[in-house]
Amino acid sequence: MSALLAIIGPALHVLATQLPPQAPQGRNIVGAQVAIGSLFSLHILIAGLVSGAGELGPAIEFLGYMRQRRTYDRLAHGLGRFITLYFSVSSTIAILLITVLLVGFWGHFWTTIVTIGFWPLLIEAWTFVLQVSLAYLWYYTWEPLRSFKGVHMAIGGLLAIASFLQVYMIDVIASYMLTPTNPQNPIRLALNPTSYPLTVHRTIGNLAYIGFAFGGFCAIRYLRAKTAEDKRFYDWAGSFGLLWGVSMTLLQPVVGYSYAKEIQLHAYGSWYKMMFGTLSPVFLWQITLLGIMFLTATIYFARRLRTDGARGAGLLRAMSVGMVLTTLLAAQPYHLGLTYDAVAAAGLNRPFWEGGLINPLGSMIPWKVLALMFYTLIAIAAVVWYLRGLPGVVWGTARRGEQRILVLMAVLTMAMIVTMGFIRENGRGPFLISGEMTIQGQQNVQTAQPTPAPQSSP
Amino acid sequence: MVRRLGAAYNWFDERTAIRSLLRKGLYEAVPVRGAWFYTLGSATLVLILLQLITGIFLTLLYVPSVTEAWASLNYLKAHDAFGSIVRGIHLWSAYILLFVIGLHMVRTFFSGSYKRPRELNWVTGVGLFLLVLVMAITGAFLPWDQAAYWTAVVVTNVPSYTPVIGPFLRALWRGGDFVGPITLSRSFGIHVWLIPAILFPLIGAHLALLRKHGEFGSYINYRGAYRSREGVDVPPAPVQRPIEPPYPAVPTDELWAAPLETEDFYPHQTFKDGVISAALVVLVFILAVAIGAPLEAIADPSTTSYTPVPEWFFLPLDELLVLVPQQLIPLVLVLPAGGVLLLLALPFIDRGPERNPFERPAVMVPGAFAVLFVVILTLLGSGRLFNL
Repeated sequence: MSALLAIIGPALHVLATQLPPQAPQGRNIVGAQVAIGSLFSLHILIAGLVSGAGELGPAIEFLGYMRQRRTYDRLAHGLGRFITLYFSVSSTIAILLITVLLVGFWGHFWTTIVTIGFWPLLIEAWTFVLQVSLAYLWYYTWEPLRSFKGVHMAIGGLLAIASFLQVYMIDVIASYMLTPTNPQNPIRLALNPTSYPLTVHRTIGNLAYIGFAFGGFCAIRYLRAKTAEDKRFYDWAGSFGLLWGVSMTLLQPVVGYSYAKEIQLHAYGSWYKMMFGTLSPVFLWQITLLGIMFLTATIYFARRLRTDGARGAGLLRAMSVGMVLTTLLAAQPYHLGLTYDAVAAAGLNRPFWEGGLINPLGSMIPWKVLALMFYTLIAIAAVVWYLRGLPGVVWGTARRGEQRILVLMAVLTMAMIVTMGFIRENGRGPFLISGEMTIQGQQNVQTAQPTPAPQSSP
Repeated sequence: MVRRLGAAYNWFDERTAIRSLLRKGLYEAVPVRGAWFYTLGSATLVLILLQLITGIFLTLLYVPSVTEAWASLNYLKAHDAFGSIVRGIHLWSAYILLFVIGLHMVRTFFSGSYKRPRELNWVTGVGLFLLVLVMAITGAFLPWDQAAYWTAVVVTNVPSYTPVIGPFLRALWRGGDFVGPITLSRSFGIHVWLIPAILFPLIGAHLALLRKHGEFGSYINYRGAYRSREGVDVPPAPVQRPIEPPYPAVPTDELWAAPLETEDFYPHQTFKDGVISAALVVLVFILAVAIGAPLEAIADPSTTSYTPVPEWFFLPLDELLVLVPQQLIPLVLVLPAGGVLLLLALPFIDRGPERNPFERPAVMVPGAFAVLFVVILTLLGSGRLFNL
């Protein structure tokens, strides 16, 4: 013990003399942004899964009850185990983010946003309590309540509601930061222009994400499975996860477009930055990535049916060709420069066949909108055709290639989530609260920061 | 007294056969499980009757002209509390009717109740849904306030996107190039004469078909539901009930022909129907008294500051029109038009005997997505309007 103290004591003394007396203010904004951005991305990647599992798990349990299939019950139970294991990991990162990084680097912002969003954040805190309590209750009463399935499913239903509320409350804050309204009016705050689209977008996104993620996880377990029963289960569960993920994702073009429309109407600067400014290449990557995801899923569907000689594989291959063409259309850049303003400043804002740097095929209206419509329609057709072919599939016979596709889908989804988070958070820049509070201002502790003033309610 | 009443009843029965009619009407066999879901049909009927009664009251006062329409309703609002409540009941029962009839359709769709021999039940049901929708749309024009006028401007423009005959359809509805007196007269005529004249015979046909084939209910009431369950044997065929309607109505797939458990329509199902219908009527009354029917300023075609807000049932279409660029609108309007045709053709496309929704992906998946899209567009539209 004394030897340990002999080592730790001097080390602590050195640290005490080396560390600055307060959080690093005024110098390294980029460093702070990278630290907060990275940790937030990690937090969202885990929290999205936990929320999605809290909503999807009870739904799968109900589905299993309706269909009287034990495999659904096993899958739902697995999702319950996931929540109990990872809830604390996600929470730890969130606590680190708030108590150390946000308060340390952007203290004024954090106190302001807590003051403005007191009620949503208070409800958020309690939904956390509710969510974790119900998650543990749901998971640990699985066997004891086997004879009272209705009661158990009711607990699951409450867990799903708590998970949704928890996401909604934090979305109120996140959307307020982009489209602030009268902070004195809690109803206006909760229903600010982007709160609805963001909540719908994120809820569907979380549901899709958990599907893709457990699809990838099951693929890995399938490749390592020793028994025929495990192979059957993981093959089925991987396919189910992907099917679920695609079914949810194909709602996103409509919801995402609606979200972008609200940003255009209520935070034009951010919208312009995303569509024509420095974030436009990232947006282009996002819409391309969406196409790649749908394409990869369609290829999986075709391959999985072909492996067992089930009907429909040929048509699904044709659909994947359609998806390639649609992705190529969606991936067309509008301005062949980093930003439209740079192209315009150079006097080159005319079609490329007239010597300019504008590609009309890359415009949002109508081409990218058409591409989004085709994404949705082809994906619906692919899901229907795959489901039609499923009675011909023998679970447990999938090949390695299909499992690799499932893992790839999980990775692509993570890339999509990080990309979307990056676009939304940077779309506000240089503001932390649009038009009200800047990132740079946070670092200058000498100057008082403006706090959003109440506006008159319409 | 009781004897006299009994004698009067017997006298009446001898001449009208009321006893056997009541017996036929009340002691029909209906499936047992999921019976609360089957109350949506009777709730729809009750709300339509509420519409009829309050509508008759309103026609006693309402004047269908651009100079008098608004004034007549404003009179109700300012001077006639009872009339104002009646108008509130008319409006709120219409709103709730649209929601309930939509739920009824969704329930029928997911349960596969439209399959043989009930194809025509479904077709008449879709017809009723469309008629109720047209009724609601034309009813929204009648107050001739700002909301009504601008709704008329937007809605009567929608048919103009139809290829070739679009401009003709718009002119036919409007009675010219612009919304005006003839638009109001025509909409009133459609609302109180044309649609009811088709609606009520169609309700009769729908009910007659329902009585002929019996309530299908849900797939869980049938032997077919047990085929896909692990470790559960298909139960034996049910014993034929002695009283009507005899299941099956016509020869059909044996697994889906007759429900496993049935009960009498009266008092079991009538109790549930009564509870739900009464609850909805009470809800309508509360909303009519507490909120009432709004009446904005009189229509002013020259205004540039008014922002029209669509009726709630128009929110999905409105949101779609907001989202989609101008040049793609004709393409997007194909979706609802094609959707209606698909709805009508559904029983003739999905002809397999299977009723279990989990075993009918080719129909269920697109149907579920259509419902989801409508719900999501409604949510997004309401959020947008709140922040106008």
